[in-house]
Amino acid sequence: MRLLAVLAAALVVAAPAAACAKPASQGHLETLLVCPSCHTTLDESTSPAANEIRAELKRMIARCMTEQQILDAMVAEWGRTILSTPQTHGFDLIAWVLPLGGIAAGAAGLAFGARAWSRGRGGPPEPGGGGGGLSPEDERRVDEALARFE
Amino acid sequence: MRILRVLSAAGVVALLALLVWQVAHRHGPGVAQKVDKGRIVAAPKLDLPRLDLAGRLDLASLRGSVVVVNFWQSSCLPCKQEARTLAATARAWKDRGVVFVGVDALDTKSAARAYLKRYGVDYPNVRDAVATQYPNWGVTGVPETFFVDRHGRVVPPHIAGPATRQDLEDGIKRARESA
Repeated sequence: MRLLAVLAAALVVAAPAAACAKPASQGHLETLLVCPSCHTTLDESTSPAANEIRAELKRMIARCMTEQQILDAMVAEWGRTILSTPQTHGFDLIAWVLPLGGIAAGAAGLAFGARAWSRGRGGPPEPGGGGGGLSPEDERRVDEALARFE
Repeated sequence: MRILRVLSAAGVVALLALLVWQVAHRHGPGVAQKVDKGRIVAAPKLDLPRLDLAGRLDLASLRGSVVVVNFWQSSCLPCKQEARTLAATARAWKDRGVVFVGVDALDTKSAARAYLKRYGVDYPNVRDAVATQYPNWGVTGVPETFFVDRHGRVVPPHIAGPATRQDLEDGIKRARESA
């Protein structure tokens, strides 16, 4: 009888773990969701709405729902604004692509501007000199002037 | 270089246009602030999914009845204080052309439904998940109660805080008398 009782107790303890092989992490989920009333992530909010959602998460995890299933259920109940980061597909993809596009466009603009500027500087040589250097006459005069200080 | 200048100018113009649009479309004072000054104003559009049943409820579909619109949340203590009074008043006026509508916001469905059951609320309730209606109605906290006349206009008084039976009776009478 004692052995049976021990086995039954072991089953009771082991059953939820066996049913939930890899339970979703409440802590991680709280960073992926925002509090609808205060708009901070759930892990930083103590508002009543955040507390309600936290309790709901706990129930969902106890029912062995996966992280993705929980997130899908939350989006179905609250809409996509409940997610702390935009999704990487559909309309939300714009939020990821637009800043990268902006950086690329900025870099292209800078490169284009730099090229145009460097071309402007390498324009026709100034009169009386080749490529900005001194003429032989000027060089002679500079040497003469410098010789006075020696 | 010219193309860069044109693009820069276009960007600045676009940002300015966006600013002007944002300022022009910013929410003005909500219904609550106008009603508190004694004005009668058209009720904002309110078409939301039902909390107590399947489907949606559109406030416009209740035109011809006096409607008491109550904003609440299950975790709000003053809402709990008035819940049974609202339910009792709704039952008392049910057959006299007065409809109560609850608007629950920033709440989980399970908590909200448990609240309705616990306080015996059997009038229609809708769910505004992320409180999109708050700016239109000028709701700044819960509970708040509004009275809509038969023509779909919000009439004074507007009750901010828990409503008593007398508050509700007075509001209903004024809405019924509104021509």
